[in-house]
Amino acid sequence: MDSFWYMYMPIAGVSIFWPGMVLIGYSVGVIGGFFGMGGAWMVTPGLNILGFPMAFAIGTDIAHIAGKSMISTIRHSKFGNVDYKLGIVMLVGTMAGIEIGAQIVMYLERIGMVGPIVRWIYVGFLFLIALMVFSDYAKAVKKSKMGAAAGEKGVEGFTWYKTLHKIKIPPMMHFKVAGITCSAWLPIFVSFLTGVLAGFLGIGGGLLRMPALIYFIGAPTHIAVGTDLFEVMISGLYGAFTYTLKGRIELVAVFVMLSGAAIGAQIGTVATKYSKGYGIRVAFGIAVLCCMISIILKQFKYDTAAAALILSVISAICIYIMGIMFKGASAELREKKLASGK
Amino acid sequence: MKKLSKKVLGILTAIFVWLPALAWAGGPKAVDLVVVADTRRLTGVQHYFANLYNENILLFAIWAVLLTAALGSGLGFIMDFIMERTGLDLKSRKLVEH
Amino acid sequence: MRRKYLMYLATLLILLFSVSLASAAEVLQGKFVSQDKEKKTMTVEEYDLNMTPEHKYGVPTGNLVEVNVATAKIGIPPEPGDIVRIAYKVVGAEKVALKVMNVSKQDLRKK
Repeated sequence: MDSFWYMYMPIAGVSIFWPGMVLIGYSVGVIGGFFGMGGAWMVTPGLNILGFPMAFAIGTDIAHIAGKSMISTIRHSKFGNVDYKLGIVMLVGTMAGIEIGAQIVMYLERIGMVGPIVRWIYVGFLFLIALMVFSDYAKAVKKSKMGAAAGEKGVEGFTWYKTLHKIKIPPMMHFKVAGITCSAWLPIFVSFLTGVLAGFLGIGGGLLRMPALIYFIGAPTHIAVGTDLFEVMISGLYGAFTYTLKGRIELVAVFVMLSGAAIGAQIGTVATKYSKGYGIRVAFGIAVLCCMISIILKQFKYDTAAAALILSVISAICIYIMGIMFKGASAELREKKLASGK
Repeated sequence: MKKLSKKVLGILTAIFVWLPALAWAGGPKAVDLVVVADTRRLTGVQHYFANLYNENILLFAIWAVLLTAALGSGLGFIMDFIMERTGLDLKSRKLVEH
Repeated sequence: MRRKYLMYLATLLILLFSVSLASAAEVLQGKFVSQDKEKKTMTVEEYDLNMTPEHKYGVPTGNLVEVNVATAKIGIPPEPGDIVRIAYKVVGAEKVALKVMNVSKQDLRKK
């Protein structure tokens, strides 16, 4: 139990296969950096599969998101296109939502159901992500076949926000930067729901908040990106705080994962520069599906198989992305050398 | 067809967001779970934090958030610094068909 | 400017660190024997730190310890025979519990 490969977690009181933890942290960085979305969806199930009690897995995940969002905030030095008014109004909903999500987790823990329920909801959640990725891929393939001109029509997508803006429950608010006017309850409601899910699953929630901002609230995409980043950071910090107060966080694990993620994120972000085409998206979708399968394996007590599957899948996709990065980077450096040699 | 699949996806998302709320309803009543960190076999910094966890969870929470934020931004700085040294051009990028 | 900021940060951290350095709670693990509802105390048979496959929670020492649980946060109420872990502080001659964890009834490993 106290062998070299296992690290003792002082609070949860479990011994964890630490290379697995480093690998998950690192992969989240690489994959998140590459695809530009959190990647936290693999952390909660990953930690749980490695042996963390579910509530600890969620708390640890949300705290590591807080740290990671600090990294990206540093990188952009400021958030860029944030509608701060919208952001602050949404904070109300987000924080309330996270608290409720965390309370639900604690409640489920008390009645002894937290493991299975969170796992099954994760299965549904990951299925949804996979569906999104694959339909996105199908759309892109179709578009490139039809040519840009024909594809442009589809850009508008959902316009549900037009309907939602007609709901005029006071107070009405105007958000100058995003250029929208709607009832204040709309962003609060939307952020509340995403907050609940974020607090419940231990994710940043950007995956849901971003489309919600665009489709339900009607913010322009670049504003949605910035405002979402702002929201993720605050919600991560709040989530970390509240989960720590509830005693469901493993600080050692947070640091290990965060360090891995910081290195990984660089590689992932640089790799986007050299990647071409949509093929990698399919790999991503498959990774999500494999993660889903390993959660189901865990649910049916095939712990070793679950751990082996999730770890091998994320390392495979990591190696693939690293390959892209190193090939691209060495080509660029060679070119530069050649250019300066002439 | 395309529109339909989009609608289905949207509705699925909506249902999904509600799921945790549904899980909240009902179920047997039970007591809080209390966790005590076993400080007896820990030393140094680990002992300090595990003890804080037992004794003063609020202070522990403040520490956790501060340290996480500090480590996050610190690592951000260091990695940016290292990546700058590699001589790669990270500011501009060629057109990528995304 | 930056230096000043760092100094502030360092002071704050040192302050935070020193706040709880003075006191340290102790931890006791063992078999729950009985509870005195009137005196609000629990009696626990202490186990030592030699965890082995046969003695997952340590080896019984036969040492009976009485802890005051009047102000403690207690998890699942222990029944005689349960393994409990208690964080306590020594106040005068008394051991005052802060938290009582029922180790056998809430095996987190299974979650």
